[in-house]
Amino acid sequence: MDLLYKIFIDPPVQMGAAPDLLVQALWEGCVSGVLYALIALGFVLIFKASGVFNFAQGIMVVFAALTLVGLNGHGVPAFLALAITLGVMFVLALAVERVVLRPLVNQPEIILFMATFGLTYFLIGLGELIFGGEPKVMISDQLWLPGGAYRIEIFGGFVQLQKIDIAAAVIALLLVAALAVFFQRTRIGRALRAVADSHMAALSVGISLEQIWVIVWFAAGIVALATGIMWGARSNVSFALEIIALKALPVLILGGFTSIPGAIVGGVIIGVGEKLGEFYWGPLLGSGIESWLAYVIALVFLLFRPQGLFGERIIERV
Amino acid sequence: MSNSPTATKDTFPKLLLRNARAFAERPAYRHKDLGIWHTWSWRQVLEEVRGFSVGLSALGLKRGDKLAIIGSNRPRLYWAMCAAQALGAVPVPIYADSVAEEMAYILHHAEVTLAVVEDQEQVDKILSISVGLNRLLHVIYDEPRGLRDYDHTRLKSIDEVQRLGRDRLAADPQCLPWWEGEVAAGSGSDLAIILYTSGTTGQPKGVMLTFDNLIISAINGNRFDSLGRDEEVVAYLPLAWVGDHVFSYAQPFTAGFCVNCPESPETVSEDRREIGATYGFAPPRIYENLLTQTMVRMQDVGRLKRVMFEYFIAVARRWGEKILNRERVPLHARVLYRLGDLLVYGPLKNRLGVSRVRLAYTAGEAIGPEIFRFWRSLGINLKQLYGQTEASVYITAQPDGEIYADTVGKPNIDVEVKIAESGEVLFRSPGVFAGYYKDPEKTAQAKTAEGWVHTGDAGLIDAETGHLKIIDRAKDVGRLTDGTLVAPKYIENKLKFYPNIHEAVVFGDGRDFVCAMLNIDLTAVGNWAERNNIAYGSYQELAGHPLVYDMLAQHVEEVNLSLANEKALAGAQVRRFLVLHKELDADDGEVTRTQKVRRAFIAERYAPLVHALYSGANEADIATEVTFEDGHKGVLRARVKIRDVKAVLAPAVLEQAA
Amino acid sequence: MRAPTGQEIAAGEILLSVDNISLSFGGVKAVSGVSLDIRKGEIRAIIGPNGAGKTTLLNIINGFYHPQQGRITFKGKSRSRMRPYEAARGGIARTFQNVALFKGMTALDNIMVGRTLKMHRGFVWQLLRFGPALAEEVAHRRVVEEIIDFLKLQQVRKIQVGKLPYGLQKRVELGRALAMEPELLLLDEPMAGMNLEEKEDMSRYILDVNDHFGTTIALIEHDMGVVMDLSDRVVVLDHGIKIADGAPSDIKNDQAVIAAYLGVAH
Repeated sequence: MDLLYKIFIDPPVQMGAAPDLLVQALWEGCVSGVLYALIALGFVLIFKASGVFNFAQGIMVVFAALTLVGLNGHGVPAFLALAITLGVMFVLALAVERVVLRPLVNQPEIILFMATFGLTYFLIGLGELIFGGEPKVMISDQLWLPGGAYRIEIFGGFVQLQKIDIAAAVIALLLVAALAVFFQRTRIGRALRAVADSHMAALSVGISLEQIWVIVWFAAGIVALATGIMWGARSNVSFALEIIALKALPVLILGGFTSIPGAIVGGVIIGVGEKLGEFYWGPLLGSGIESWLAYVIALVFLLFRPQGLFGERIIERV
Repeated sequence: MSNSPTATKDTFPKLLLRNARAFAERPAYRHKDLGIWHTWSWRQVLEEVRGFSVGLSALGLKRGDKLAIIGSNRPRLYWAMCAAQALGAVPVPIYADSVAEEMAYILHHAEVTLAVVEDQEQVDKILSISVGLNRLLHVIYDEPRGLRDYDHTRLKSIDEVQRLGRDRLAADPQCLPWWEGEVAAGSGSDLAIILYTSGTTGQPKGVMLTFDNLIISAINGNRFDSLGRDEEVVAYLPLAWVGDHVFSYAQPFTAGFCVNCPESPETVSEDRREIGATYGFAPPRIYENLLTQTMVRMQDVGRLKRVMFEYFIAVARRWGEKILNRERVPLHARVLYRLGDLLVYGPLKNRLGVSRVRLAYTAGEAIGPEIFRFWRSLGINLKQLYGQTEASVYITAQPDGEIYADTVGKPNIDVEVKIAESGEVLFRSPGVFAGYYKDPEKTAQAKTAEGWVHTGDAGLIDAETGHLKIIDRAKDVGRLTDGTLVAPKYIENKLKFYPNIHEAVVFGDGRDFVCAMLNIDLTAVGNWAERNNIAYGSYQELAGHPLVYDMLAQHVEEVNLSLANEKALAGAQVRRFLVLHKELDADDGEVTRTQKVRRAFIAERYAPLVHALYSGANEADIATEVTFEDGHKGVLRARVKIRDVKAVLAPAVLEQAA
Repeated sequence: MRAPTGQEIAAGEILLSVDNISLSFGGVKAVSGVSLDIRKGEIRAIIGPNGAGKTTLLNIINGFYHPQQGRITFKGKSRSRMRPYEAARGGIARTFQNVALFKGMTALDNIMVGRTLKMHRGFVWQLLRFGPALAEEVAHRRVVEEIIDFLKLQQVRKIQVGKLPYGLQKRVELGRALAMEPELLLLDEPMAGMNLEEKEDMSRYILDVNDHFGTTIALIEHDMGVVMDLSDRVVVLDHGIKIADGAPSDIKNDQAVIAAYLGVAH
């Protein structure tokens, strides 16, 4: 009885009692949700176009951020460093296509997945070698990212909205919009959807699989860079970021592996769910709820709607 | 006769000139081609028709000549009619799916000199019969695909003909006044069109209709239902049928509304949805099919949707028609209905493309009362009318507020109706046809000296409502050997009200008792079979299945029960029936192009089955020659089972027995 | 974009030829020393019992498989192996036995993808849907609509092809191949699984394409009636070897061919 009270009555009462705290929790949940979504986006892009689950997406985030900071540390002006980092991601995409994808093109997907494992550890090693293992600070100021916070009086109390959070949310949404338009409207976008659907048919129409894969990995690289900058600005740039990338998995399960809007929706649900869970049910279930709640939600979804909210239902004609 | 001011514009070409002035930029015709809708305003239509007309004249078309028109609903084919009429020539539309021999008969009988056709298929058909047609000067086609390598000495495209006309108009300053003079020379009493009716017996007859016939009928029809220039109709019914001619040609020309031609027969529903038609006609069959499809689809949706659907359909059934008839309805009913409209009726009507339909007519045969009420309960003003080619369509129609499932309405404006001694319905109106082409004998049989026309249908005026009720074809009303009246159509209609029964043929005249041959409806019965895990490999197998027979026997018994309650017909209950192994098909001559059964022909063709029905046998073998769609013939064999059905004792008989 | 390679071939001249092609999978000789030519403007049928190597041959021509031996000469240019990209660029389009379509896209989009090679404007223009890119998109859409009109696919253009019945899927696939405006059309069992009416329609489309556009066609087919009616020349494969090559009437009476189909031991 007491337990039921603690689960169902107490938290909503607390929410009602301090609405400003609720708003704060919701806001923070949304922000972290949007950032999860950014990471998930990288996965979606690659999975949608080449059917490969890119385990290395997380390390690509770190690597991109490290490259940017490292270049700047050596005296390269911020925006030039940004441009060069983009170039590096492009070269990385080319290299991955050439060295990893092309030789393994007809292998089962599991082999390709394992290859991305290899890529991950390769990039970790390379990163440590070039940039060193200590955490770095993101060059937020040089990139004109705002600092400080807005303080808003609301519901008798107040909420603090970090400006960097607002910037992150806006940039993430812009990126998503741009990618959605790209997929739907352009020739290359259509070709990407085609390749995602059937390699054989795409080949027979003259679409160059190699070209498409380079483009897709580059796009994922751009997303990784944006993610790295945002996450790095909020905390710092370290190899620990790579683990956070695993949070993307529940997001993908919720939103569907092949849906861009799904990544956003899934991310927000997970982010908000985590934060609310932490604040209001945390005392009951012990803290650290943030580390496992996402996976529990994902498990529930797997039972009832495995393709996710937006994923494609595979239609097979009998 | 009416005194409407537009009577001075007494031919369609003159109406076109008026519309081009009065409605210049308003849309007149639309056609969906290559995925997009192309629109022509009245002014543009005039320009097209004029060019076409002068071009036709250059090819030799003159006053009194006949122009055949064969194809599906395309603006250019409608314009061909007007282009011919402008010169005083007479269009003769022919059903696009006619077999070559039918076409040859009409082309020959009507003495056609030019033909405008839609595409390669029609051109090929004409070329295959052109041997006997030495009057035919040119064939003109709309769609050039596939015709590139044909011999073009007597074959032209509409584009070419129009170009010929436009060049002539540009080069010769006398040409335009000459053409306008030709238009002015036409008058209301001139022959406007010859429509060949695909009769249920014998060769088709050419019904001659004058401009007065059509224009006055159209104007009256417009007045009856307040049709104005904002209507949108979708033209999908056969061009050669009088209904389409009135709804997609005569009425638009007189009222000024827009006709939309779909991309292809298969895309009609989608196109109707895109256009948002406001007024339309469909034979009862279509309303029935749409309902069956909807019901079938509702079986497959999720539980929540199905429950919602069933609940709100029940609400509609209770209050919908009343609301449509503007009767007083309690507030809570209105609220519920509104909610239903939001959740169920609205989306359903949208999916079917009928959201904007404010007036829907049906005619041609009886419509199942359930079906009729269903559509009205959804808020669609579905009404019945009764008409004939010989009447320029309108004989009777149901006025708003007086809608019943089993009547065909009251006489239309300027129409008089009377019932003869024999029970046959006669009418007289400004729409009465001028006669049958080259057949004064049949004309005299149909039309009396005072202008009354025999409809050939038996009917009665309902005492309560004053509406006309049609019972059957006059000549089909027969009698059993014991004198009991047998109205086969009446019984067939009752049988066909069941969704499982697609077609029925009833025999009884001159016999001891009544028997029926049934066709199952593949959609409905197929669906039922799936649901009950009954496997079948073909139509024939399903039609012969004992469980299907059981189900149909039940339907027949119910029909017998309803017959038992009508004094005059109680003795005509169905005693035996069988299910045919194949669907009755127009290509085999068993039904007409408008899906009416040809009873005598069927009796002859299936003689072994008829014999078995009356001999008491339990099954019979039948072998029928069938024509496949590509023209080649084959033989279909089957062993058909026969069932006995109990007759319900009429209450009168019971009383006597007591 | 690179222009298609190869010289212009006149009608009647050899458009494509394969010379002594061999390919084995493991120990199985799928194709063994096969040589044949296809003349521009003709309809060439490739027939033979199941497992004769017909699909393998087509796969070699269009670059999915690489032969271990022999050469492929297309439009005058000879190579030891073809790449799918080069084949498509050069004007070879293909349909597949099991229908390779983009099941998640509509019929219209599927055929539109066939236009990919013909689209030239850079993707920044396309992104903005502006000026020249828009005009190009409209022009391509028109071509696709004409193909839809030709194949009578209007009623399914907005439907996801995964939901369509088999016969319609094959027609959409043909549409996608036609959208490439190919010089050589490779059809792998285009009539498989169709009823009489559908077969007639498909035959008529194939004839029209050959007639109207002058497209050279090579088709694998099992229905002998279709083969006799449609093709100008026929080549017969059995167990990976060519056993006959000539006019349909000659092939029909060839002893080796009859023996192969009846399964006489050899």
